[in-house]
Amino acid sequence: MSEPVSLNLARAGSEGLFVAPHHGTAVSGEAAAIRKSERAVAESRERSIALFGSKASAISEIRELVSEHAGPGWDGDGAEPISPLAAQLAVDLIRALPNDIPMPEFAPEPDGSISLDWIQSRSSMVSISAGETDRLAYAWLDGTDRGHAVARFDGERVPPRILDTIRQTVMPSNVAIRVA
Amino acid sequence: MLPSGLPDIVSGEEDLARFLRSSGHFNTTMVKPAAFAPNPKNQQTSVFRHGDAPLDGLVRLAEEYVALGGTVYGAAICKASSVRAENLDVVAAEPPPRHADIAGWPFNADPELQKAARKERMLRLAASSTLVLF
Repeated sequence: MSEPVSLNLARAGSEGLFVAPHHGTAVSGEAAAIRKSERAVAESRERSIALFGSKASAISEIRELVSEHAGPGWDGDGAEPISPLAAQLAVDLIRALPNDIPMPEFAPEPDGSISLDWIQSRSSMVSISAGETDRLAYAWLDGTDRGHAVARFDGERVPPRILDTIRQTVMPSNVAIRVA
Repeated sequence: MLPSGLPDIVSGEEDLARFLRSSGHFNTTMVKPAAFAPNPKNQQTSVFRHGDAPLDGLVRLAEEYVALGGTVYGAAICKASSVRAENLDVVAAEPPPRHADIAGWPFNADPELQKAARKERMLRLAASSTLVLF
């Protein structure tokens, strides 16, 4: 006889990152379906936790950057403290990044903005400025190709143009897939 | 001739040092673009003409004129010619001795577009710089 569904879910929940082991001996179609669902739930939880982990870590870095650059003149040359609005925008951007995009590095800018940098190599970089408006200034360097633009961020969805630029510039495997 | 003994005109072959006052301005391999962002007040980026001075000379320069009680982590070194290749200029600005400014950053009535254009140049400057940590 197969185990009740509620028992399986409770087990998956209590075992955190691991796929719940199934000790039942049932071989019916229903039991197989339940096992499959059970695995899917556990794997989904694993993916969520892994992603949340990298985003949480990036958000912590932003908080740390803000506290290290909270006073005026942190560069010894009249730099503005990092603006709380810029910090919130940077956090919103991180939260809105699709799962296939790697986390950026962060840098303070003397006007109080935060730079989000994807640095693949000296010749392949994308840099976005999170400042006090919803208009994101960004630039890229990809070998001999280079450019800059501005895109509006609604706080929930990273502008597709920016995502395309990141994928094409610092995620070479993506280009290979696209060309193939 | 300037008080430091350097010529008034910064030669393209001269090495420039952009001192790094934030640990967020470099990673393990290179200088980040934001390290070259101009000062929002005077729209210029402060650098020092360190010539072929050895590392201890660079450290002394940083301690004497830049640190001012804070930390200087290192410097981004680039040629004046690399700066000029980005349609920017390098102008001597003493005192302090050996000081110069990267000037001529793009201007635009749209502040975000202006920033994006500057960022593109900052990316190129970061790419052509060598990171020296103290």
